[in-house]
Amino acid sequence: MTGARRSRRRWLAAAGIAAAGVAAALWLSRPRPLPATVLPAHAADPRRGEVLYRVGSCHACHRAAPGEVGEATGAPVGTAPFPTPFGTFYPGNLTPAPETGLGRWRAIDFVNAMARGLAPDGRHYFPAFPYTSYRAMPVEDLLDLWAYLGTLEPIEVGRRRAQVPLLPLARRGVGLWKRLALGPVALERDPARGEAWNRGAYLALAPGHCGECHTPRDALMRLDPTRSLAGGAHPAGEGRVPSLRGLAARGRYRDAADLALALRYGEELGFDKLSSGGMAKIQVELSHLPDAELEALAEYLMSLEPL
Amino acid sequence: MRTLRLVCLATLLVSLPFAFAALAADGDAGDPITERQEAMKKVGDSMKALSGIARGEAPFDAEVVRRNATTIAESFERAAELFPAGSDKGAHETWAKAEIWANRADFEAKLQAGHDAAVALQSVTEEAAYRPALGKVGQACRACHDSYRRPKE
Ligand code: HEC
Ligand code: HEC
Ligand code: HEC
Repeated sequence: MTGARRSRRRWLAAAGIAAAGVAAALWLSRPRPLPATVLPAHAADPRRGEVLYRVGSCHACHRAAPGEVGEATGAPVGTAPFPTPFGTFYPGNLTPAPETGLGRWRAIDFVNAMARGLAPDGRHYFPAFPYTSYRAMPVEDLLDLWAYLGTLEPIEVGRRRAQVPLLPLARRGVGLWKRLALGPVALERDPARGEAWNRGAYLALAPGHCGECHTPRDALMRLDPTRSLAGGAHPAGEGRVPSLRGLAARGRYRDAADLALALRYGEELGFDKLSSGGMAKIQVELSHLPDAELEALAEYLMSLEPL
Repeated sequence: MRTLRLVCLATLLVSLPFAFAALAADGDAGDPITERQEAMKKVGDSMKALSGIARGEAPFDAEVVRRNATTIAESFERAAELFPAGSDKGAHETWAKAEIWANRADFEAKLQAGHDAAVALQSVTEEAAYRPALGKVGQACRACHDSYRRPKE
């Protein structure tokens, strides 16, 4: 065998391995949307949907850019830039506007966005959109939320493309990451606890996505389930996020009623540590919740023991 | 003669701690980061007293309200100078965000809003008007901390 032939073979082998790698990556990162058959027969309730919209803080990210249409009315037109370590996103218009909003989406498209992090055309959304938590919501709740969004006034806005280097390739990378990092959803009821506590746990961990900031992450950027809500590095690099465990033991709040009051009013009533690092926008959204929902959330949080 | 010496010595001994205190205060005054954090802590203490009334932990007392609202208003009056250019870093840890110096006009507008809300609160004498007026002050705190303060943990 001559040297030239050997190097040609080696080159072919390397190309073969690379092609197999690309094929495997493409296969592993392919979108896996839910079929429309997962949609149950469900009389969607937009009022329950509004509760999920508020506790989910959709508007905190999907708000209008300063001085642009929708800012004054609080419509979730999604033109405000959302900076992340990957680049800047424009979350998108959640009103039922046909051209630039969700007006032409079907219910299953919305379910796939929230439960699978997938666009109607199969693109992977970045986890800057916290579908990583929202996917723990039952389909019925997603349909209620979808019904609520359908009641909003349609507002057309200019759409802006995310400023992320190598965006299409990066979206494929997100697909691979989902394969590695997103296991089955683990959010179980605790039968030993009451109705309100279980409701609070659900609100905090699924639609409320409190863990996206308050739970530390592992090497794969997954929330660490053994340290749920124990505080950690801020996802956008703004210092540290406080723990929500042992709030009573640390004297932060007297009882659940006190915490509910803090979440309702925040600094308006002189409660500190509820304004920086994105918490202000969350607290303002939570302030719209009905008393019973806020009290359930507070009851769950106050029950968390320090680790 | 001896009494004079004793008096001198006593004066010296008594005044020494004051002299040191003055020196120490002078040393701190050179650092805008500690100064503004002290100012904000004072504002925070006043806010605690005020929110105690709103939460029903203390009775409504127009004089207590006026005094604490004045402390807040006066602190905000001179707070802008405690954020000189370049003080996003320093010998002391700071939670002020660099955006303050990129958006100076907006930062000062938010400071002004806090000042104006505190001034409006000073003259509240009716309990019914108290809670909304306090809320306006709190909204000003929240708006600025949302944009310009990092969480401290
Ligand atoms: C922490 C910020 C954040 C929150 C909170 C958030 N989103 Fe988003 N959302 C985003 C970002 C960023 C994107 C764009 C992701 C991308 O392009 O990869 C997005 C995209 C979307 C999309 C796709 C829009 C399109 O035009 O393709 C939908 C639908 C959506 N979000 C719904 C919601 C709903 C409903 C809620 C509340 C329950 C919500 N989001 C809360 C950040 C957020
Ligand atoms: C975008 C990130 C983010 C999300 C999402 C988030 N938080 Fe926070 N939270 C923070 C930060 C940062 C602070 C500290 C703010 C400060 O110091 O001003 C905080 C503070 C708090 C505090 C005060 C803690 C104390 O020691 O008094 C409570 C209570 C709280 N959050 C509850 C929640 C709840 C409930 C949710 C979910 C519904 C939630 N947070 C979601 C970032 C977040
Ligand atoms: C115009 C902006 C602005 C306004 C208005 C404002 N703050 Fe602040 N505050 C800051 C900044 C910036 C810091 C961080 C300073 C630092 O660490 O150097 C801070 C820090 C604080 C701290 C922490 C001090 C410490 O170091 O322990 C408290 C408490 C506080 N603010 C209370 C309040 C209250 C209460 C109000 C409303 C009555 C208020 N602030 C209004 C900008 C503001």
